[in-house]
Amino acid sequence: MEERTIQKKHKIGSALYITLCFLFLYLPILVTMIFSFNSSKSLTRFQGFSLTWYERLFTDSEIMGAVYVSISIALLATVISTILGTITAIGLSKSRKIIKEIIINVNNIPIMNPDIVTAIGLMILFSSLKIEKGYLTMLLAHVCFCTPYVITSVYPKVRNLDPALANAAMDLGATPFQALTKVILPMIKEGIFAGVLLAFTMSFDDFVVSYFITGNGVKNISIVVYNMTRRTNPTINALSTIVILVIMITLVIVNIVPAITKKRSKKNFELEKEGIFIAQNKRLKKYAGTAAAAALIVIIVLTSYAGNKETLKIFNAGEYIDPDLITEFEKEYNCRIIYETFDSNESMYTKIMSGETYDVLVPSDYMIERLIKENQLAEIDWSSLSNSDNLNKDIMGKAFDSENKYSVPYFYGTVGILYDKTVVKEEDLKDGWNLLKNTRYKNNIYMYDSERDAFMIALKALGYSMNTDKKEEIDEAYNWLIEQRVTMNPVDVGDDVMDNMIAGNKALAVVYSGDAAYIMAENKNLEFFNPDEGTNEWFDCMVIMKSSEKMVLAHKFIDFMLDVEHATINSAFVGYTSPVEGAYQNMLETDYKGISSYTPVMGNKGNEIFRYQSAETKGYFADLWTKVKAH
Amino acid sequence: MKHYTKLVRPYLIWSLLIIIIPLLMIVVYSVTTGGNTLVNIQFTLDSFKKFAEPVYLQVFLKSFQMGLITVGFCFFIGYFLAYTICRFSEHAQNYMILLVTIPMWINTLLRTYAWIGILSDNGILNTILEKLGFSSISFMYTDFAVTLGMVSDFLPFMVIPIYTSLSKIDHSLIEAAHDLGANNIQTFFKVTFKLSIPGVVSGIITTFLLSVSTFVIPKLLGGGQYMLIGNLIESQFISVGNWNFGSAISVILAVVILVAITIMRKIDPEKTEDE
Amino acid sequence: MNRKIIELKQLSKNFGEQQVLKGIDLNIYENEFLTLLGPSGCGKTTTLRIIAGFDEPSGGEVLFHGTDISKVPAYKRDVNTVFQKYALFPFLNVYDNIAFGLKIKKKDKKTIDEKVKNTLKLVGLEGFEKRGVTLLSGGQQQRIAIARALVNEPKVLLLDEPLGALDAKLRKEMQSELKKIQQEVGITFIFVTHDQEEALSMSDTVVVMNEGIIQQIGSPVDIYNEPENRFVAGFIGESNIIENAVMKHDLLVSFDGFDFECVDKGFKDNEETEVVLRPEDIDIVSPENSRIKGQVKSIAFKGVHYEIHVETPFRNYLIHTTDYFEPGLNVGLSFGPEDIHVMYKM
Repeated sequence: MEERTIQKKHKIGSALYITLCFLFLYLPILVTMIFSFNSSKSLTRFQGFSLTWYERLFTDSEIMGAVYVSISIALLATVISTILGTITAIGLSKSRKIIKEIIINVNNIPIMNPDIVTAIGLMILFSSLKIEKGYLTMLLAHVCFCTPYVITSVYPKVRNLDPALANAAMDLGATPFQALTKVILPMIKEGIFAGVLLAFTMSFDDFVVSYFITGNGVKNISIVVYNMTRRTNPTINALSTIVILVIMITLVIVNIVPAITKKRSKKNFELEKEGIFIAQNKRLKKYAGTAAAAALIVIIVLTSYAGNKETLKIFNAGEYIDPDLITEFEKEYNCRIIYETFDSNESMYTKIMSGETYDVLVPSDYMIERLIKENQLAEIDWSSLSNSDNLNKDIMGKAFDSENKYSVPYFYGTVGILYDKTVVKEEDLKDGWNLLKNTRYKNNIYMYDSERDAFMIALKALGYSMNTDKKEEIDEAYNWLIEQRVTMNPVDVGDDVMDNMIAGNKALAVVYSGDAAYIMAENKNLEFFNPDEGTNEWFDCMVIMKSSEKMVLAHKFIDFMLDVEHATINSAFVGYTSPVEGAYQNMLETDYKGISSYTPVMGNKGNEIFRYQSAETKGYFADLWTKVKAH
Repeated sequence: MKHYTKLVRPYLIWSLLIIIIPLLMIVVYSVTTGGNTLVNIQFTLDSFKKFAEPVYLQVFLKSFQMGLITVGFCFFIGYFLAYTICRFSEHAQNYMILLVTIPMWINTLLRTYAWIGILSDNGILNTILEKLGFSSISFMYTDFAVTLGMVSDFLPFMVIPIYTSLSKIDHSLIEAAHDLGANNIQTFFKVTFKLSIPGVVSGIITTFLLSVSTFVIPKLLGGGQYMLIGNLIESQFISVGNWNFGSAISVILAVVILVAITIMRKIDPEKTEDE
Repeated sequence: MNRKIIELKQLSKNFGEQQVLKGIDLNIYENEFLTLLGPSGCGKTTTLRIIAGFDEPSGGEVLFHGTDISKVPAYKRDVNTVFQKYALFPFLNVYDNIAFGLKIKKKDKKTIDEKVKNTLKLVGLEGFEKRGVTLLSGGQQQRIAIARALVNEPKVLLLDEPLGALDAKLRKEMQSELKKIQQEVGITFIFVTHDQEEALSMSDTVVVMNEGIIQQIGSPVDIYNEPENRFVAGFIGESNIIENAVMKHDLLVSFDGFDFECVDKGFKDNEETEVVLRPEDIDIVSPENSRIKGQVKSIAFKGVHYEIHVETPFRNYLIHTTDYFEPGLNVGLSFGPEDIHVMYKM
């Protein structure tokens, strides 16, 4: 009697624990699904049911493209790695011991190596061989890490196989190939099936490897999600929900259907009707095979079809264009734009140095100077730009390209501090950049995750030039940053600063004037100011790479962006100040009416423009920056 | 059956090209200077010397510390979960294990991304805390957030192998232990746990591998200043552009993990007999 | 005499350092039931696998109707095999297992149907078409394996210890069944076994092998009664082997201190030989009626007969008899000239 109650208690305890664990595992999934139906952008407050994000999802060409890439790569990688892995596993069981050991050990490398090591290995390989990164490299990489999983699931099955079976088939007249397909494969199909499932998920879910080896605008879902996480985008939730539902349904089918068919076949056996059942089954199998083959052909055809139109490769910062403009340009000039994004000038430069080529880039001032010095840029043919007169002449002819021989302004602005008027005391603002070291705001600061801007703040706060190459000044700035890190515990953010500040998560944030405009339009509690010590006046410009073979189309694109209407749309979307005079005026009257930061305070005493750094200085900064981050 | 030995040849060549050579190239980059090309390289151990600076060692230690904490949580939560699941009927077990598996199939990034909405300062968790009358807590961009994200993402990798080991245990062994006078707790430690070691080892290796090398979870939940070894490597390759140093860190990471795995494998009695 | 169907000429096979076959010469005739008999590792299975085409010989020739087929792959040979553990395809039902070879040869459906039916009838399993093979008993699986091979109408059927996995009773049944099937289909069976009783009861010809060498070829009766050497004598049935006999001259052999008349000749005078005495050929008599005297050491009842060990000054003799003798009793041993089998010394 007593024992029973104990057991019952145990049972309740067990059920409770399991429920808690599942809650923990499924909480993020549930949240994603619920908020995908939210009518507002908020990820935290449910404000009514709507299908807006699903509509957005299906009209978003970037996401749909990524879905296509993810699925097609996963299918192709699964097919290839399953075939490769299966034949290897079969061959392996018959090989000499030494070969067997070599392959099994080599096979373990991609499984046991951290993803990131596999990824950089392949990245280095493709770069050194000058293989253009894109769909093919991604496929190769996926086959690389999927095949070992196929081998590990198939090989044990092959090893347990009675060798007499293959002999029996050949004895009965089957060629070795027939014996393989008619006897060995059916015997190991469970292992192959497990391998297929593993390979497909590994490929479909992969982020790390794809992220490092992709190029040419080829993005899978993970990469798009990663790029999008900087700014709240509930479209991702809609996508997640669909992915989750598809996976759940598939898994349920895979797990439950065999149980049902087993029951059915048992019944059929009893009814002696299994002859019919087997026949049906065979037909089904044939259909499934044909369908799979057809799907593959469609994928291959679609993949090759994409190359027919003239293409233009553009490399721009993340969230720095209204995607509708890309679509419009593609329509107007009957071309295809391969659009890639970077998260900093440095990562853009690294990518170019690794051999990637583009037609149009949108780097910042100092990077333009560097690219000019390194002879990477083509001269702009201003005569072919019909909208060049729209440009605000005040922001032309800056030191990094004094005659605008190579660069056409895209956006410009300053860096300043965005603060919450309800929290930050007005008198604290006189501290300038040192506001960021005011312990009143400890744990309440977002810093911008960028090497040059971080050092700019420290150097300006100390009263030095942000273009200094004096080691002792740089060291002093380094100490300033370390001290700030220790005393203030700031959080480094990228574009995610926007969501966080709109949500009012912290009191202070270092932001670009354009981001400030965007944020202030959404959260009226915020104000923006440029510290008196001076700040970074920056200019992002469109440039054309010397290696480009699409000069005409590249100029057309630049001209397209200088059109007043297009520039207005773009500026409204990203919030940055347009160098196109007409667009600027439009904005002041509409979206950014009364928003101070849309008109950057240029020409302040102490303001500077970033200049090109010598390799030595650059390396010095990079080292210290890594150390700051690692601190 | 000799007919099939030739079938390994494509993979032999393939693995040489796409597994071995890239690894060798990482090693070459790690011991040379010359930037991101192999044009004018020179042998040097500077990258490794640089790594010995306290800042980087700190990052390394922090990564392992986070990895071990994650493995620890995964182990305690996961072992108990697997053990509890095993006490249910076989039918119920199948469904529960399916439920544990499903999150593994869903993109890590998507799941991590969802945690941001839960943990952020004005997020769901804080809203609930406020409703309950507590003051809100800053969860995001802390060790807590990163650990939570990693444990939640990697827990299934611990549960599945342990469950597999536990469910294979012959119940008569447990009965035998009871028969020989062992109580429940003694039986657990002297019989059940020992028999589940292969699953534990496999689970620990997988979760450790994943948590030490991740760079996505710390970046999303820890913020840009949150540096683990994965982030350090990523930054060297993506933004800083120092491939030599990045390669050196990768080599160190790979070697250390290899050593760790080898040590773990030693604990597993079945594996050593097998090989 | 029937025509030769397979000839093995100086067949040898090495696996690495190890020499498994050391020059086998063997003629196999049409319609013959031939058994390769020997202990495990003697090379009998290797010989069979070479004939089937699963292994290539390291040296020598395999002639099939006079042409060398040692390089012809298994699937192009007119022979079929019944495997040790049957090697039935578990994912196919009985019908599809049997039809496998015919489908490979792209026979039309009607022919396949007909042949499968007939073969199933031959092995006594009509109506089993749709059953899964894994659910059948050992004996039934055995029959399916035979049917699967026979349906292809091979000229030669190879059987690799096919009865090894069956229990004793079923084995006896299958032995006569196999013999019956062989007579019915009228083709050559090459049967591999290590069980001498099985070999003797089924075969037309028995080939005794040891360590890669053929020890003796002959009819079961010859092999039993006239073993050519100690190995054959020891392997086939229980026997008393006298290792230090001397052939005085034709028809007279000497051992245990006495000369015995025998029926063997053709040895050199005073050649050292060996003699085998089958236990059932020795009679126990009173000591005064015999030259060989000894004492009963032990007696055990074996069902039909008693097994008795008798100790003599020279050796222990094993005797099978239906009479009972008290242990400790002094007895004499007696045998006739035709019971003495003289063999060459090994």
